[in-house]
Amino acid sequence: MAKPLPKIGSRRNGRIGSRKNSRKIPKGVIHVQASFNNTIVTVTDVRGRVISWSSAGTCGFRGTRRGTPFAAQTAAGNAIRTVVDQGMQRAEVMIKGPGLGRDAALRAIRRSSILLSFVRDVTPMPHNGCRPPKKRRV
Amino acid sequence: MVAKQIQRELSDMLLTDKVLQYAVLPEAALGADRYLSSLTTISDVEVSADLQVVKVYVSVFGDDRGKEVAIAGLKSKAKYVRSELGRRMKLRLSPEIRFIEDESLERGSRVIAILDRIKASKENVLDEDDEFSESSDSPQDDRDWEGDDPDDIIYVK
Repeated sequence: MAKPLPKIGSRRNGRIGSRKNSRKIPKGVIHVQASFNNTIVTVTDVRGRVISWSSAGTCGFRGTRRGTPFAAQTAAGNAIRTVVDQGMQRAEVMIKGPGLGRDAALRAIRRSSILLSFVRDVTPMPHNGCRPPKKRRV
Repeated sequence: MVAKQIQRELSDMLLTDKVLQYAVLPEAALGADRYLSSLTTISDVEVSADLQVVKVYVSVFGDDRGKEVAIAGLKSKAKYVRSELGRRMKLRLSPEIRFIEDESLERGSRVIAILDRIKASKENVLDEDDEFSESSDSPQDDRDWEGDDPDDIIYVK
């Protein structure tokens, strides 16, 4: 799907593969994976190729604080900042998983200058397939 | 600890259980293919000392109508949720569940938005070195801010 990376010549910027992504992308997709212990926000283009990502863990929170809604909103803000400079105006949001990051990240995206076109929930739902892990005994 | 477990179970139920989903978001029954108009999250769970009363704080993202529909739907399904929780968790007595709307996330978001705007307008003042623009910016910003909420999200029926 992605073009194979050229070997030596494109190391100028210090980032491999960024030569192709420095074009303007007006519409993108923001994926938010919100688990109970962490929130990962990934910004991709419409086809699904990742532009930038950020998570509560990479924002400097560690341990139980990664699961908080404040961490989710800083992660979302971080991920969007790189992309707004590239000129993204509209985005579709795909939310996966339970967790407090769902709401907080959505509100952070709403607060920024990006226009939310759709909100979708893409939590993976088996049509009764694999056996889930055993019940926790706490 | 019991509160955490109850939060996990309830969030899981909101995601997987058909009955609850139809109560919260009636459009799902028509097969809206997961395009949501409102998103319901359980932000906090408080359990009384004797584990008999459970207060569930629910935060809904969306417009006012979506909020009312979601909260009303959840409150109407309180008994069903209570029986489901008793089935899923090993508790001596299944607790009474009360759903309470949680405004804290939204209020926090509004405060941060106002702070961002103040910061942005202060930067504008420093850039232009002009004192008059600061007082004229804020009332206009308020009007713009109130006006842009209903138009952004497209609802798919």
